[in-house]
Amino acid sequence: MTMASGSFLTTLWELGLGGDWEWKNGSWWKTLDAADVRARAVHMVSLEARFVAVTAMERPDKEVRLDYQWDLNGQLLSFITMTTSQSIATIADLCPAADWVERETHEYFAVEFIGRENTKPLMTRAGDPIGINLHKEVVK
Amino acid sequence: MSFRIPIGPYHPALEEPYKLELVCDGETVRDAVMHIGFNFRGIEYLAERRNYLQGITLVERVCGICSNVHSLSFCQAVEQLNGAQPPERALYIRVILAELERLHSHFLWAGVAAKLIGFKTIFMACFTLREEVMDALSAISGNRVNYGMNRIGGVNRDIADPQAVLNILDAMERDITRTIIPIFLEDRTVESRCKGVGILTREQAKAMGAVGPLARASGIGQDIRRSVPYCAYDRFEFNVPVESSGDVRARLVVHTLEMIESCRILRQALSTLPDGPIHTTPPVGARFKVPAGTAISRVEAPRGEVMYQITSNGTEIPERVRVRTPTFMNMATVRFTVLGQDLADSPLIQASCDPCYSCTDR
Repeated sequence: MTMASGSFLTTLWELGLGGDWEWKNGSWWKTLDAADVRARAVHMVSLEARFVAVTAMERPDKEVRLDYQWDLNGQLLSFITMTTSQSIATIADLCPAADWVERETHEYFAVEFIGRENTKPLMTRAGDPIGINLHKEVVK
Repeated sequence: MSFRIPIGPYHPALEEPYKLELVCDGETVRDAVMHIGFNFRGIEYLAERRNYLQGITLVERVCGICSNVHSLSFCQAVEQLNGAQPPERALYIRVILAELERLHSHFLWAGVAAKLIGFKTIFMACFTLREEVMDALSAISGNRVNYGMNRIGGVNRDIADPQAVLNILDAMERDITRTIIPIFLEDRTVESRCKGVGILTREQAKAMGAVGPLARASGIGQDIRRSVPYCAYDRFEFNVPVESSGDVRARLVVHTLEMIESCRILRQALSTLPDGPIHTTPPVGARFKVPAGTAISRVEAPRGEVMYQITSNGTEIPERVRVRTPTFMNMATVRFTVLGQDLADSPLIQASCDPCYSCTDR
C-alpha cells in the first residue's frame, strides 16, 4: 500500500466512512448493510461526493449484488450490498443522479427499489418483461 | 395556455433517437420529460455471452464517435485482472488515439452547435477540420470509426510516422486558432445567442452526477485524465478548462479550450513517443481466460467519464460487464437547462450537452 492510499484511508476515517476499506483493481471496496443504503447516500451527498453508478450482478441464490459507486475527490468508492428478496430501498429521492440507474437496474435485473415514485420503464417499454439481463429467467 | 410538444422519437434537430416532451406556456418551456432507450441493444447482456476477444470488438461498437474509449476501458479493466502491463510505447499510442478521438468528437459537437446557432459557415469549417482528424485516425489505424487499436496488453498497430501526424496537427492548430477560437470565444453574435442560455448550476450538475465538459462548464473541475491518470497522461502537461457560468457559452468555451489542450497533449506524445514494443502478450484468442475477480476502469471520454466494471469467474466468458457512459448521466440535466427558456433555444441547449444516444442506450 502506498503512502497516498494510506493517507486516503485516514481521510475516509476522518470523514466518518469507517475502516475496513480495501483498494483493489481501480476502486476502494467496502461492504454495506442493505439497511444502511439510504443513510450512506445521505452521508455521501453531504460530502459532495459524485454519484457514479450502481452495478448489479445476479447471485446463485437469486439475490442481486449491488455495488453503489461514488467518486470522492477523484477516488472511486464502491459499497457492496445485497438485495433482500430482490428488493432494496431507493436512493433516487436523496440523490437524483440515481434515478435512471435504478430504473435500468430494475429492468435488467428485476430489482425492486422500494419507495420509488417514478416506476416508468427507461430502456424498455410499458408491458415489456423485466429482468432482461438475468442469465436464466425473465420475470413476467 | 399550456401546450405539450412531443419532439422525437427521432429528434429532428439533433438527428438522434430520443424523445422529449416539452410543456410550454406560449414560447416558454415550463416542463420537460425525456424518453430514451430507442437505441437499446443489450450490449451488457451480449458482452456476458461472448469471449474477451469478441468483447473488445463488441464494446467498440457501443458508440460511433468515441468507439476507442470503450475498447480502451474494457482492455484496461481486463489488464488489471490478469496483470498485463502494456509497454510504454503502447501507452503513448493509446493517449494519441484518445486525444485524436476527443478532437474529432469536439469538432463534431462544435459543428452541430454552430449549425443550431445559425452559423453554417463555421459548421462547414468544423466538419472540414474533423475530416482531417479522421484522415489521421484512418492513416494510423486503417479505419475511420472503429479503429480496432486496443488489445489486452497493448495496441494492435504502431504509429510508424509520428512526424506525419505532427504535420497534420500543425495545420489543424493554425485553423483552430484562426477560425474556431475567434468565433466561439470572441464573436458578439455567438455570445448573444449563448450567454445566459440553458444554465446548469454547479449544484444541479453535482446532484445529477454530471461529468465531462458539461460539468466543467458548471464549475466542477474534474477530469479523469488528471484526477486518476491512466495510460501515459501523468507524463504530459495540460490544463483542465473550467467555467463557472454553466450556460451554453460556458460549454462552448470549455469545448474550444479542450481542443487546444488535446493538441498540446498530442504534440508532447508524438514528439516523445518512446521506442520499444507495442504489446507484451500474444494476441488474445477464444480460449483466453481471465483470473477471477472484479476490476473497474475509468476513462475520460470526449463527453466525460466512462466506467467499465468487469467481473471474471476465471472462464473465457466475463460474468459481468457493466458499461456506464457519460451521456447517461448528463442528458437527464436537460430537464433543468430548458426550464424557463425559449422553445426556439431548446435544440441548442440540448445539443450543448453533447449527447450521444448510442452510448446512453447501449
